[in-house]
Amino acid sequence: MSEISVGLNCPACGGAISVVEGDDTLICPYCDSTLFIEGERGVSTIAFKNILTRDGAVAETMQWWSRGWKARDLSRTGAVSEVYPIYLPFWRSSTRVAGWICGYTERRYTDDKGRTHVQRVPKEEMVLNDYLFSEIATDPGDLGITSLRNFSGETGFADFDMIPTFEATTGRDGAVERSKSDAISRARRSVSVPHITLERLHVFPRKLSMIYYPIWVVRYSYRNRMYMSTVDGVTGEVLSGRAPGDPLFQSLAITAGTSVGGLLAAAGIILSTLTVSEIPLVALMIGAGVLYLTYRFFRHGSEIIEGDFKHKPASGGEAMRGLGETARLIRGAYR
Amino acid sequence: MASIKCPKCAAPVVFDAGTKFVKCTYCDSQIFIDRSGAGFYYAAPFLIDEANAIGTFRRWAAGPTKAKNLDRLAEIASVTKHYFPVYMFKRTVGRKEQVMLEPARSTTLPGLHSLKVPATDLKVFDAAFDTEGAEVIQPDIEMLSYLDALPGEPVEQALVFFPIWRLSYVFAQKCYDVVIDASAGEVFAAGFPTRGSAAYVVVAVVGFAAFTLEGILALESMTAAASLMALTVVGVFTASYAVARRL
Amino acid sequence: MRIVQVRCPSCNTPIMSKQKDRFFHCDKCNVLHVRDGGTRNVDYEIAEFSDSAPLGERLYVPFWRLYCSFVIRSKSVEGGYAFRLASWIKGSDDGGSLFIYVPAADFDTMTFKRLAIDFTVRSPNYRTRLNFGGVRRMPARVSSEEASELADFVVVTMEAEKPGVLQRLDYSLTVLGSKIVYLPFVSSPSGLVPAL
Repeated sequence: MSEISVGLNCPACGGAISVVEGDDTLICPYCDSTLFIEGERGVSTIAFKNILTRDGAVAETMQWWSRGWKARDLSRTGAVSEVYPIYLPFWRSSTRVAGWICGYTERRYTDDKGRTHVQRVPKEEMVLNDYLFSEIATDPGDLGITSLRNFSGETGFADFDMIPTFEATTGRDGAVERSKSDAISRARRSVSVPHITLERLHVFPRKLSMIYYPIWVVRYSYRNRMYMSTVDGVTGEVLSGRAPGDPLFQSLAITAGTSVGGLLAAAGIILSTLTVSEIPLVALMIGAGVLYLTYRFFRHGSEIIEGDFKHKPASGGEAMRGLGETARLIRGAYR
Repeated sequence: MASIKCPKCAAPVVFDAGTKFVKCTYCDSQIFIDRSGAGFYYAAPFLIDEANAIGTFRRWAAGPTKAKNLDRLAEIASVTKHYFPVYMFKRTVGRKEQVMLEPARSTTLPGLHSLKVPATDLKVFDAAFDTEGAEVIQPDIEMLSYLDALPGEPVEQALVFFPIWRLSYVFAQKCYDVVIDASAGEVFAAGFPTRGSAAYVVVAVVGFAAFTLEGILALESMTAAASLMALTVVGVFTASYAVARRL
Repeated sequence: MRIVQVRCPSCNTPIMSKQKDRFFHCDKCNVLHVRDGGTRNVDYEIAEFSDSAPLGERLYVPFWRLYCSFVIRSKSVEGGYAFRLASWIKGSDDGGSLFIYVPAADFDTMTFKRLAIDFTVRSPNYRTRLNFGGVRRMPARVSSEEASELADFVVVTMEAEKPGVLQRLDYSLTVLGSKIVYLPFVSSPSGLVPAL
C-alpha cells in the first residue's frame, strides 16, 4: 500500500513541511516560500480534552436519576453496568449574516366610541451578526445528541489514542448549507418584524472546522432493562438519556389533567351562556390543552426521554407552542 | 491497524481510518495518505456486549407503543452477532465534497436498507482485526459496479463493516426480528406486537367529560358536585394507575 | 493533494512571505494575484500615508472599492419626515454611480460596518504609491463575489440610516468595476485609526 503515502516537502528548498488540515496556503519554515495546496486539503480539526472522570460521569448520571419524573426507585434499583468515553465528531461552522429586515407590526386599540382600530407601526431592523452552528458529523444512532451546547474548553489530541474516536461520515458541504439556512432563520428570529415588506439578507460562511468532543456513555440496568445516558466530558452536564418512568406520576398527571381541564371547560361553557366574548372559547381551549399535555405524559411517560432522539414523542414545550398558535388562529377567526 | 512505508525513511508508519496526515515516528516527517486511488476495508468494534444487547431490547420492548408486557413475555429465540457491509464513497462533485452510501448486500433484516454508516469508531479491517467471533456478512454487490456510475472525483472509497446484534423473539406464537446497532445502541424493528391507545384514551376522555359535567352541575348544587368530583378523582386515579402499570 | 510553490504569474518570481494572505504580492513586479480555482490578477492601488498621520505602528488594510451604479426604481418610507435623498450619490435623485468601500480583511461585525460606512460616505482622496514601502499589510479574506454582496448591504444600510423608516426599496445595484485599495492606518491603543 506504499503508493498511497505522499511525503511532504517544500517544492522550493526540499525541507520537510507540516500541513495544517484545512489551510490552503502555508509558508515554508526554512526558505519563506509561499506554498499553495491544490486539491483535497481536509478541514481544520480540534479535539477537546476530556476532564470528567469515570466516577464523575456515574455521579452525574445518578443525580440525573433523581431529577424529573423518573421511576421513584431508580436511585435504589438502577445499577450502572458500563461507563466509557467516546469522541464524537461535530461540524462547527461560523456564518456571518449581513442585511436588513424592514416591515411593520400591527397595534390594535379601541377608541372611546368602542371601535377597534389597527395601527401600523413601521419597523426597520439591521442584522449583522456571526452565528455559530454545530451538527454531529455522523449518524447520531441512539445517543440522543445532534449538536454541541458547549464550544469552549481546553483542546488537545492527548487522549486521542485512549478514547474510541467515532469517524466523521457526513460531507462538509451539506453541513455548510445547513449552517447557512440555520443562520438565516436565527437572523430572522433575532428581530421581531411580524410583517416583512423588505428583506435583504446576505450569508457568508466564514470558518468550518471539525470538533472532536468527549462524551461519556453510561449504560445502566433497571428491572432487567438497559437504559443509558450521555454525559458531557468537558462540562459534566447530562446531555441526553433514557430512563424508566413511574406509573404513579403518569396517573397523577392524568388525574390532575382531567380535573383541571374538565373544570376549565365547564367554566367556559357556563360563561358562554352569560357573555358574548372570546373568553369562553379560550377557557375551553386551555382546558383541552391541559388535557392533551397530561394525556401525552400519561401515554408515553413509562419511558422518560431527554435529548435529541429520533423517535421521541413531542415534548411538552412543543405542544404548548402548538396550543398557543391554535389559540391565536381561533381568536383571529373570531374577530 | 494498517501501516504504510514512510516515503522518506521507509520505516513502517501506522495509521487509522479517517486519518489524512500521519507523522513518521522514526524521522518525524509528515505524510499525506492519498486514498483516492485505493479501496479500503473498515470495521468497527462491538461496544455493546450480548447481555447489554438483550437489556437494550427489553428496554425497547417496555416502550409505551409495544404490546403489554412484551419485555417480560417475549421469548428470545436467538441472539447472533454479525458484521454487516455497506459501501461508503467520498467524492468531490463540482467543488463540493459529498459522501455517498450504497448497498453492499441485499437483506431483509430491519433497519439495514435505510442506508447509513452508524456512529462508530472505524478501524482498518485487515487480518489483524479481531471480529470477536462475529459472522462477517460478505457483500454480494461489487464496489466496481458503483464506481463508474458515481459523479465527481474520488477522495476515498471503502467497504465498511459495522457491528450488529440480531435478536429473534417469539411473542404470541409469532416470530419477530430486531437488529441492535452494537455501537450506538439504536434498535431497528420492521414490525412488532403493538399496544393500542384505547385504554389510555378512554380514561382521559371519560375523566374529562365527568369533570366538565360536574363543573356545570356545581351551578345547581355545590355539595353534590363536590362529592361527585371527589369520587371521580379516586376513580380516574385508580383506573389510570391500572392502565399505566399495564395490569 | 499537491503542494506548489507560489510564483508570480507575470514574472515567475517565487513569492516569499512571512504571513498567510489570500492575495499574493510580487515584490519584484508588483503584481497582486489570487488563486481560487485558477490564477487571477487583482487590480489594486496603494494609498500614501498622509504627512499628518499619527505616530504608531503603520499598516495597510485592504478594501474592495466597487464602482457601482445604483438606481432606485421606487421606495416607500414611513414614520418620518420628508426624505432627503442620498447626498452621496453622484447623479440624479433616483440614483447614479458611487464608490462602495468594503473591508477585505477579517473584522468583527461592528468594525466592519463602521469602516464600510465611513469610507463609502466620504470617498477618500489620496495620493497613490507603487509599493508598500516595507509597511505590513493586513491579510485579506473577502473574495470579490462576497464584496459585491456586501456592497448591497452597505447601500441599504445607508438608505436605512436616513430619517424615516424604510418600508420598501426597489432598486438595482450593478457593480461596474472592482479594485483592491490598500488604505493606510495606524494602530493605536484605541484601535485602528485611518492615516489619510
